[in-house]
Amino acid sequence: MDLTRPLTSTALYILLALAERDLHGYAVMQTVREVSGGRVPLRTGSFYRYLSQLIDAGLVVEASGRRASADPRRGADYHLTARGRQVLESERRHLAGLVAAMDALRSSTRKGLA
Amino acid sequence: MTPAHRRRSLTERLYALLLRVYPKRFRARFEEEMRESVRADHAQVREKGTGAVTAFWTRTAAEAVYFGIAERRSGPPDGPRRPSRWTFDWRDAYRSLRATPVVAVVAVLSLALGIGANTALFSILNSVMLKTLPVSAPDQLVVIADGSWTNPIWEQIRDRRVFRQAFAWWSTQMNLADRGESDDVSGVFASGGMFDVLGVHAALGRTFTVADDDRTGGPDGPVAVVSDGFWQRRLGGAPDVIGRRLEVNGLLYTIVGVTPRGFFGPDVGRAADIFVPIGDIAIERGNTGMLDGRSNWWLEIMARLAPGQTIAAATETLQRMQPAIRLSAMPDDWPAKMQADFLSPSEPMKLVSAANGESTLRESYVQPLEIILVVVGAVLIIACANIANLLLARATARRRELSLRLALGASRARVARQLLAESAILSGTGAVLGLAFAQWGSALLVHQLSGREAVVLDLSPDWRVLAFTGGVAVLTALVFGLAPALGVARLEPNEALKEHSRGVIGDRRFGLRNTLVVGQVALSLVLVLGGALFLRTFTSLTTAALGFDPKPMMVLDVNASRVPPTATQARLEGLVEAVRAVPGVAAAALSEITPAGGARWNTLIDPPPGGPALPNKKRLSWVNAVSPDWFKTYSMHVLAGRDVDPRDVTGAPPVAIVNEEFARRFLAGHPVIGAEVRAEEGPTTNTYTVVGLVNDSVYKSARAGFEPVIYFPIAQKSSPKSLTLAVRVAGGSPAGLAASVGRAVARALPEAGFTEHLMTDQLGAAVTQERIVAMLAGFFGGLALLLAALGLYGVTSYSVNRRRAEIGIRLALGADRGGVLRMVIGRVVWLVACGVVVGGALSVWASKFIATLLFNVTPRDPLTFALATAVLFTAALTAGWLPARRAASIDPARVLREE
Repeated sequence: MDLTRPLTSTALYILLALAERDLHGYAVMQTVREVSGGRVPLRTGSFYRYLSQLIDAGLVVEASGRRASADPRRGADYHLTARGRQVLESERRHLAGLVAAMDALRSSTRKGLA
Repeated sequence: MTPAHRRRSLTERLYALLLRVYPKRFRARFEEEMRESVRADHAQVREKGTGAVTAFWTRTAAEAVYFGIAERRSGPPDGPRRPSRWTFDWRDAYRSLRATPVVAVVAVLSLALGIGANTALFSILNSVMLKTLPVSAPDQLVVIADGSWTNPIWEQIRDRRVFRQAFAWWSTQMNLADRGESDDVSGVFASGGMFDVLGVHAALGRTFTVADDDRTGGPDGPVAVVSDGFWQRRLGGAPDVIGRRLEVNGLLYTIVGVTPRGFFGPDVGRAADIFVPIGDIAIERGNTGMLDGRSNWWLEIMARLAPGQTIAAATETLQRMQPAIRLSAMPDDWPAKMQADFLSPSEPMKLVSAANGESTLRESYVQPLEIILVVVGAVLIIACANIANLLLARATARRRELSLRLALGASRARVARQLLAESAILSGTGAVLGLAFAQWGSALLVHQLSGREAVVLDLSPDWRVLAFTGGVAVLTALVFGLAPALGVARLEPNEALKEHSRGVIGDRRFGLRNTLVVGQVALSLVLVLGGALFLRTFTSLTTAALGFDPKPMMVLDVNASRVPPTATQARLEGLVEAVRAVPGVAAAALSEITPAGGARWNTLIDPPPGGPALPNKKRLSWVNAVSPDWFKTYSMHVLAGRDVDPRDVTGAPPVAIVNEEFARRFLAGHPVIGAEVRAEEGPTTNTYTVVGLVNDSVYKSARAGFEPVIYFPIAQKSSPKSLTLAVRVAGGSPAGLAASVGRAVARALPEAGFTEHLMTDQLGAAVTQERIVAMLAGFFGGLALLLAALGLYGVTSYSVNRRRAEIGIRLALGADRGGVLRMVIGRVVWLVACGVVVGGALSVWASKFIATLLFNVTPRDPLTFALATAVLFTAALTAGWLPARRAASIDPARVLREE
């Protein structure tokens, strides 16, 4: 994955889902669907493509050790790496900056109108 | 027993197959998870209905292919990229199809329907005809052909060691209920060696052996082996089932084993739940009549050939020993002539392969299934023709794009390959959806095949089904993909650089499209015609005169074998009285045979002296034994003489009542009432005085029509074990009285078991085959018509679009709009007329294949032909009307301005 570019929102959502705690693949997918309110139409095919890219980029790894209670069919849990957290944080800053810039622009427009 | 693991559905297995598109390293990492994830999503989507499921699988399949290819293209993360021109084509093809979603969806859906219908039919044929029994070395198994054998014959074959290994069996319904309404399951009485011969081992416990097959019960008493399905369904899959008691037909058995999953017994299409040794039938019935009766033909015999032995060699051995076998098993009490026939039968015993198991299902359904397979094949061809037309139109519309590619340096092969890749994606997706559709469709169809006894077929896709579907998919891709791909060869690179010229008429591809449409019309005419013929057959059969009124009737099959024989007659009279007393019952009576109920009984009639000499075949009459009021219960009429009378009992003069057909055939020229009729019944010939004449009615089936029937008073025949109680209600539906009649029977005859049916249901079950053929042929005929109409619409509107400029100029020059309308419609009529001529010729040829399945209508029935042609023309004119209207409303000024 080309990390010089900003992450796509889907990849971002996946990282976000894993920021809270380690999850197995299907749970990540469910979380993204819920958190995005269905706006990110993540399905099995696309999800695993993103996941493999995130793993290749070193942002996500398979969690070592499996939870005892976990359903073995679900497969491994995934874990956000330190690098992944970094990227997520830098994205957060980047987006927050963008939002701040937009807000500033909007309020100045409002002022202008007043 | 293997641990109970979750069975994967067909769709899941298909998805696993689709995942092979992904590169290995990806699969190694994610395959299990992805399958699990899709399964979980599928479970959620399933609640939203079939539409959502279809959409889900379409998306999932498309994504798996798309991302799988994408994953392959991106290659291993740190390895070199593997350039592949093919993967490029796939991506371009996928994108180009996405650009015209309507075309893609219509094409995929019609293909899925076509391929799915073909696969569904093929899975059933495969299961009935081609799959081998799930036993060891099935190709060594043979059965003694044609019909059933007596137990003494079987014992001779066994004791003379004609075969190294053999067994005999009887497939029958077994009653689990203690008393009252019976609880029937499919069972098999088999000689002790069955499991050994088949090479089937118990999944739990043990199977029964020769030692268990004993007339006194064997070392462990009567033992039973149950199927895996029965164990799960009825016994809760309990591990401690071995040793439990099970009451079957009133006899207590000890369960000693459970068969492996997938073993359904020696018959195909019938899943036996309970297997018990033959010898136990002597304990169950309290006599050895079945086992020692030399004229009880009830067993089928299967043997295993020695390694290297051919069927011919084994048949020879069998035939060499046949005289000795027959001599030892000859019925002693038969007349000399019949004994002579028994010893040297016209057809000696013969062996046929049993690798695919025995099946009555096969006999009755193979021809209709094959015909329907041809029908759905034709539907698929029509669908392909449609898609070819669609893609041709699309290719024409894309001429500029394609020629631009050529102009920019793409090779013709590359462009053609992309078009082929598009077809392959369409047919591949269609095939995957088709397989899912087939799984659902074939299960539905098998459900429809089931009459009283459930038909169970192993429909899981094996390599044959997958190869069939794959082959069909490749073939369809070639059929409809080739035409547009070949079109590339004629494409000029500089075409893109030119302004598109005014409609070129007489383009060669337009000729191809017309040919496709004529072919479609011809095929759909044949299918519509076939559908109409089968529908007429079905309606004639269901509306055929029966000679009695089934609507207000219900019938109860009563098993009175546990009523003490000395008391039977009086008890049965009490039973009829009790049922007649139920409020709402108008009439009730007993008989041994139910018309069109499956059971039959016939006898040879000696014509009275001076009558016409008849060949043996013509001397057969059907027989029934009935109680007083039976004709009244069936709303039949006594035309002369009298009904059966309570005085017609054993000891009184033997009397008979005959129907009109009987009187016509055997008593022509004689006064019917008072005539003496001699009937050959087993070893003796008995004389009866005819005391009544009743109207004709159906005995065997509606298809067989009216045949001669002779009725005897039931009280003059030895007390039957199994009989039918017919009940006519005074008004309203008989279903409402089922419960109260059932209670009356249970009270009057507590030791008897019984089952209740509505007479109309029973008659409906008798025409199952015709109903299914009519339903399928009608459905696919309609589908063919729809597809042909779509094809006509497509080709007509395409031609109108191409000729916009020409039509505009004609209008500008003063042609009237009615003329334009007539011109366009005229072309449609011409195309359809060509199709009708070709289709008519085709149907004349095809008619001979369906003649035997028809009833009351000839395969070349002119009325049906006229009707089908009219339907076809109506559909065609409707399809042509819209584009014709559009042509007539072209504004000449606008057309001229556009140029």
